[in-house]
Amino acid sequence: MTAPVQVPRQTTAISLVAKRPGFFAKNRALVLSASALILIILLVVVLPFLLPDPNTTDAGSRLLPPSFEHLMGTDKYGRDYLSRMMTAGRVSIGMTLLITLLAAVLGTLLGLVAGYFPRVGGVVMRILDAWMAFPAIVLAIVFAVIIGPGVLSELLAVTVIFTPFTARVIRSRTMSLAARPYVRAARVAGMSSWKTLLVHVLPNTLPLAMVQCVLLASGAMLIDGSLSFLGLGVSPPTPTWGNLVAESRVYLSMRPSLLIFPGLAIAIFVFLVNIAGGSLRAFVDPRMRFLQERARLRRAGRLAG
Amino acid sequence: MIPVILRRLRDLVIIMFVVGTALFFLIRSIPGDPAKVLLGIKATPEQLAALRADLGLDGPLWQQYLEWISRAVRGDFGVSIKYREPVTELIFGHLAPTITLAVFATVISFGLTVLLVTWSTVKPTSRLSRFVNRLVQFGLALPEFWTALVLILVFSMTLRWFPPSGYTPLFQDPATALTQLAIPVVVLVIGQTAFFTITLEESVLGELTQLYLRTARVKGLSEWRIATRHVMPNSLLPILTTVGMNFASLIGGIVVIESIFVIPGLGTLLLGAVYARDFPLIQGGVLFVAFLFVFVNLLVDLTYSLADPKVRVA
Repeated sequence: MTAPVQVPRQTTAISLVAKRPGFFAKNRALVLSASALILIILLVVVLPFLLPDPNTTDAGSRLLPPSFEHLMGTDKYGRDYLSRMMTAGRVSIGMTLLITLLAAVLGTLLGLVAGYFPRVGGVVMRILDAWMAFPAIVLAIVFAVIIGPGVLSELLAVTVIFTPFTARVIRSRTMSLAARPYVRAARVAGMSSWKTLLVHVLPNTLPLAMVQCVLLASGAMLIDGSLSFLGLGVSPPTPTWGNLVAESRVYLSMRPSLLIFPGLAIAIFVFLVNIAGGSLRAFVDPRMRFLQERARLRRAGRLAG
Repeated sequence: MIPVILRRLRDLVIIMFVVGTALFFLIRSIPGDPAKVLLGIKATPEQLAALRADLGLDGPLWQQYLEWISRAVRGDFGVSIKYREPVTELIFGHLAPTITLAVFATVISFGLTVLLVTWSTVKPTSRLSRFVNRLVQFGLALPEFWTALVLILVFSMTLRWFPPSGYTPLFQDPATALTQLAIPVVVLVIGQTAFFTITLEESVLGELTQLYLRTARVKGLSEWRIATRHVMPNSLLPILTTVGMNFASLIGGIVVIESIFVIPGLGTLLLGAVYARDFPLIQGGVLFVAFLFVFVNLLVDLTYSLADPKVRVA
């Protein structure tokens, strides 16, 4: 290991960083919510390997209350509810990530093209407006009729609904980037328009796209929940947090814990994603950072008016 | 003013046309012959031909499309397979509960939002403002279907204050109707208020940086007067559009709520149509929901242009 003292420029950089408050102190909400999310994802991925099989039925131990043996009790077939919850978490979070990723990639591409080629952009935005006229659940109903209710219909419906939101944000960013001198210089220097878009515009929209991703994830989780609750998404015996809530309805008065756990899981996940997304937004949107800081000061009573 | 209305009406027609066309071809792209599916294997060729003609499924695709468009323009969406009634009549028969829920939820949550945000603008350090600020994040995170069931568990099954399901038309028996609507509306209001509050707060924060507020304070206006006369009107304008766009997610919530509380509205109608594979009803119903969405946004934009002098003059 070479001592960093020998390289003067690096030392100044380090000392400059050291003087500022640490990343954790400045972004406590972000760090806490992000670590909690990572913890949840780890739990959901690792725990099913250690727990009893979520599909093993046991007629002798139906609808047991939470106990040491079954931490969340058992369901109507005597299956361990904690195992079901964790497997459901894999499916629900997996669906959420898949929808988010698809919508963000598609939306970014559409937004780039619509923003960089104004003539195409007008047409694309008109079509996107028409897309947004569908409530996601209603579109899921359409796809459920066409290809049968299931993973594919849910994925298609929600992706189609979410894509325009990303596309709009990325488009306006692209439009402002396209007018920058360095982008024009690249074009004048003979770079093709697609290559300019790829090399000079796309990288600058990526932070924004990432934040959009996080913001979409909370909506995706809620819609995934509603759709599997209504039987339009992933259906039993594969558990999701949404269809676990639906299954618990019959035993509502007898064993309310079956209702409480999966709903709470969705709520906590969405809550954490919202907090993380809100703090991330401050990184890409200076106006947002300014406003959030003002709001904090006002509530602390340190900002007059 | 009139050009604004005309332009919006043109957009409405374009969007309805695009949505209708997309729906038509999506539904026609389903493999298999709907007539055969509906009548089963015992059907005679004459019966099949008659049903195809009935459903508008005979002739080449473009001819079917033109036929469908010309009927749709006259408000004729065919006959539902499940109910054997005209789709248009079915939709209007199931409209009242959905509209009742939507209006109650929107009016109550919008009113509540304006009250809460005005309070937190005037007294940002008060306990209520800080509490609301925390609570909003929870309100946004709660899934409607779950909140509904939890409220049923607490208020219908344990405390027995409200019935767990059912629907009575509002003007037929207001007392019963209101007790039945209480939980569904509260569920919708929680989510909507949280969303409106966060949007309006952001708008207010932006407005608070304006310099004219300093002038207002210097000339001695009270914080209340500044908030109600200056900050609120200016911050409310941009969020009107948000209220309109939010209509789509409100409809989504209403579909879920209707299914939980067994309310015979549009959502229940459409969900029932999925399981019966009732194509004409799905096509008409979905197109109608899209129409509602565009129409609500048209109304919002018109209110906007009436309220905003800059837009009114332009």
